[in-house]
Amino acid sequence: MAQVELKDVNKTFGEVKVIRNVELEINKGEFVVFVGPSGCGKSTLLRLIAGLETLTSGEIVIAGRAVMDLPPSKRGIAMVFQSYALYPHMTVFHNMAFSLNLQGMAKAEIRKRVEAAAKILQMEHLLDRRPAALSGGQRQRVAIGRSIVRNPDVFLFDEPLSNLDAALRHDTRVEIAKLHSQLGATTIYVTHDQVEAMTLADKIVVLKDGEVMQVGAPMELFNHPANEFVAGFLGSPKMNFFDGKLTAISKDKNRAKFAGEGVTTKLVRLVSGDKAKGAKARLGIRPQNLRLDSKGGLRGRVTLVEKLGTETIVELVSDGKVPFRFASPDVPALRVGDHARFSFSAKHAHLF
Amino acid sequence: MVSRSLHHAVLALIVFIWVVPFVALVTTSLRSELASKTSGFWTAFTPTELGHRFSTHDKGALEEGLVFTGNIFDRLNLGEDSFPISGVVESVLFQGRIPDPDNPDKTKLIRKLVPTGEVMDVRGGAFRFDANGDFVWRFDAPTIPRPKNLDVFINQEPIFGTEAYQEVLFENKHVPNALISSFIVTIPATIIPITIAAFAAYAFAWMRFPGRDWLFVIVVSLMVVPTQLAFLPILQGFSGIASWATALNAWMTDCETTSSCAVASKSFASLWVTHTAFGLPLAIYLLRNYIVGLPRELLESARIDGANHLQIFTKLIVPLSVPALASFSIFQFLWVWNDLIVALYIGPNNADDLVFPIRLQQQLGTFKDQLHLLNASAVISMIVPVIVFLAMQRYFIRGLLAGSVKGG
Repeated sequence: MAQVELKDVNKTFGEVKVIRNVELEINKGEFVVFVGPSGCGKSTLLRLIAGLETLTSGEIVIAGRAVMDLPPSKRGIAMVFQSYALYPHMTVFHNMAFSLNLQGMAKAEIRKRVEAAAKILQMEHLLDRRPAALSGGQRQRVAIGRSIVRNPDVFLFDEPLSNLDAALRHDTRVEIAKLHSQLGATTIYVTHDQVEAMTLADKIVVLKDGEVMQVGAPMELFNHPANEFVAGFLGSPKMNFFDGKLTAISKDKNRAKFAGEGVTTKLVRLVSGDKAKGAKARLGIRPQNLRLDSKGGLRGRVTLVEKLGTETIVELVSDGKVPFRFASPDVPALRVGDHARFSFSAKHAHLF
Repeated sequence: MVSRSLHHAVLALIVFIWVVPFVALVTTSLRSELASKTSGFWTAFTPTELGHRFSTHDKGALEEGLVFTGNIFDRLNLGEDSFPISGVVESVLFQGRIPDPDNPDKTKLIRKLVPTGEVMDVRGGAFRFDANGDFVWRFDAPTIPRPKNLDVFINQEPIFGTEAYQEVLFENKHVPNALISSFIVTIPATIIPITIAAFAAYAFAWMRFPGRDWLFVIVVSLMVVPTQLAFLPILQGFSGIASWATALNAWMTDCETTSSCAVASKSFASLWVTHTAFGLPLAIYLLRNYIVGLPRELLESARIDGANHLQIFTKLIVPLSVPALASFSIFQFLWVWNDLIVALYIGPNNADDLVFPIRLQQQLGTFKDQLHLLNASAVISMIVPVIVFLAMQRYFIRGLLAGSVKGG
């Protein structure tokens, strides 16, 4: 049964539609990541679920209850903010106990719960400190601890790692993943970082301009993007796109042949099933899936070589002046100004 | 570098200009009445030559003898328990007859300054004095000299005393009463507006209601209304309320038997109301701008934790706004404490209830040329704000910077 359900959710600020017709089901215990470029509405969607913004239309159901008219505290959610939003004048203990105090819970019970949460996060020794005396990572943990004590149906994370430096971000990411497997709580996590999305999520929701582009498991989205946006958004470096025409379409309209930019393909996966033969189309191929091949149809002139150690990224310009990239775990013998030819296997290409 | 030392010079000049009147006030209040009347405060720190008159001895105090001794300072300070004279004796004015060298057998009257160590003729005896004031008076034959008044010039040491303070504080109850009245007016007139303003500021900053921004603009624009402009309507209002209260009093109680029904329209309460009303716009403006600068996520977090508006206000906003609250309380305290005109028109006008500025204004008349007393009262009235300011100055500085820097 779905733990969180969004039905035809819409949100407008004045004339601007920031969330359009979002339909989503999140199962109990799932780790769902909302990902998208800035301004895509992912944070707004999270705040709608939290009750910090009011819906323009639609329905939100959490644990079987319609929550549109409930205040944030009654929705069974807990939220971790980007800035942690710790109460600066209270100790860590009182930060974590704040919500329980407001519920009028007994002192002994509060102490038990806070200490249990502190133990899970290994921060019992921090309980008497004030937030100002904590490091970024410790503050992050207090913010998470503050949500754990409330024992919510759903955890909401709003870009929780973006204030941390790169090394700490990786550690905390691993910790959040562990915590999720330990608590098994339903989690909604907002980020603009596709690495966080790919590593943490059971299910990724890609948003663009307030619309859901695709929902699915990380590798499904990576291997079978539903549209050009998802294909371009996930994966680093970005997928290459070439303009051309469909020269043939299979009977089930799932596969097609493509010609353009010096490239002709066999039947490859056709994403836009409504296109006819001869229609304009874009061929998408990931930089990692290109092969150096002196007989390949794709030709380009090298403009930049970036050696990252784990892989080398070569920036090129095709004969038709389309920039594209080639990525390889080896260091290819290419220098700026060289010409190179590439081929690729049809199973890695997508037509949009 | 040039501009920096120029800054320092200008700063030093400003500090000098501001500090001099204060030093003058304090100095004068610590001097004797005579000194404050006859010389400026700047002469109080260095030795000054002043003339005094002393008598050699009291009448009937001496028995017949040849040599008499004494001390000029002891004679001068006799019967004085304040501001004792000390210093170096420079000279004594001799005034008397000596044989005239031009006309033998005749004498002539001369006046001259006799320095220390020189012998002079006093009542037929040889009078000699030292710089420390000791004098010796010798006669050729045993006599009982009559007392003689002599004028002595002394290079006096600076001398300060707290007599003026004792006089204004303990001679009568005017200054203590003024202190108490000023506290009765100032403390509620600070606490009431800051309380109301804090609630209002939170509402203007974080609660959504129709017309909020317009209402805020109106409140802020009220800051331009000068107090003086509103005196007439305010007085009318208070006297209306007072006559209504008098009527209610007559109806509800049996005050008519003792003819004590009248309720004063000018009272401490009217001062509280007036100061609150005129302090609120700025208070709301300052506090709202501080509170609106608190991080939004903090308040949202509290909402998710289940706090309602009142709980957010008491548990988050108030503790986090302490610098702003403190800095406004200092402002309001100083204004109300130093206010003369509102108290004069709207405050109570019976002698016991006058606030300090009015009392000072009246002392200007009663003390006229007793500068030391006037200055002593003025210093007492200044001490309270100075203590308040020093006690809260770290908040004051932080409060002035409120919102200009992140964190804090």
